[in-house]
Amino acid sequence: MSDIQVMLVDDEELIRDAVSFYFQAKGFRILTVPGGEECLSLLEDGFRGVILMDVMMPRMDGWRTIREMVERGLHPGNAIVMLTALDEPDERMEGLQEYIIDYMTKPFDPQALLDSVLYYSKLLGSGYPNHV
Amino acid sequence: MFNNRIVMIAVSTGGPITLKKLFADMPPLNAAVVIILHIQPGMDRLVAKGLAAVASMPVSVAEHGEFLERGRIYLAPGGCHLTLEGNRRIMLHEGPRVNFVQPAADVAMKSLGRPFMGKIVGVVLTGMGNDGAAGIYHIKEIGGTTIAQDRKTSAIYSMPNSALQTGAVDFVFSPDKICWKIVELMNEGAN
Repeated sequence: MSDIQVMLVDDEELIRDAVSFYFQAKGFRILTVPGGEECLSLLEDGFRGVILMDVMMPRMDGWRTIREMVERGLHPGNAIVMLTALDEPDERMEGLQEYIIDYMTKPFDPQALLDSVLYYSKLLGSGYPNHV
Repeated sequence: MFNNRIVMIAVSTGGPITLKKLFADMPPLNAAVVIILHIQPGMDRLVAKGLAAVASMPVSVAEHGEFLERGRIYLAPGGCHLTLEGNRRIMLHEGPRVNFVQPAADVAMKSLGRPFMGKIVGVVLTGMGNDGAAGIYHIKEIGGTTIAQDRKTSAIYSMPNSALQTGAVDFVFSPDKICWKIVELMNEGAN
């Protein structure tokens, strides 16, 4: 149904499997990776799309992953949505606001997540008329 | 025409979808709308296109030197600050980040002057940090009306909460209520 590119970065296998299953059932292609290093590798390989990023990961957390993306110039063309158990982010997010398009708190409603991904995919993929 | 009717909005993370909700049902306003969204260059145009697809008013990325017109929405571009000269002319500036961001809503809001026979509304929506708080305080000081998004509907509550902590916020609402409050303030019984 869709060639929308979505990447889920989360160290919890259960979350990766559940989100992947839900998105695939709705006809969307989704790549899942367990950490920031793997996310950066996919970006180096040319991935562009919506990135669903867990904040707390053991090796490289979500904030550090985004800082690496920016330092390596891998952020353009991507919409980053943070997925986190924290109601409010801490000061590590300061300075990264412009790269993070949305922030969703776990446990999230899968339909709300899908709706957000659809909207941001539409923004990235010029699903809107090409004039403003 | 001298523009003395302005709605200025500060918004960050969670902003694109919140703005979509805010403007989807809003009729054309008898005011210019200026949005300061923390967004990277390149993404600003995409967000403007998304907003243009649902809004009843034309949406554009603000350009240096242009004059505000009522009934239009202007989105500040990423990578620079925006101020208003004489409450009507858009000026884009290079310069250091303010509150860790660029564009910064505090910079834009604090450039507003007290309007003569006009009306200014300042709004702070979802986002991380405290950008917009000093700006809201300034808008209140120059006689404007101020609104903050509520905790329940904010993806991140710290920006609206920082504005609230200034004691200068008149209303705390969800985006759909903010929509109708702005319509009431700008479109009812005024020229």
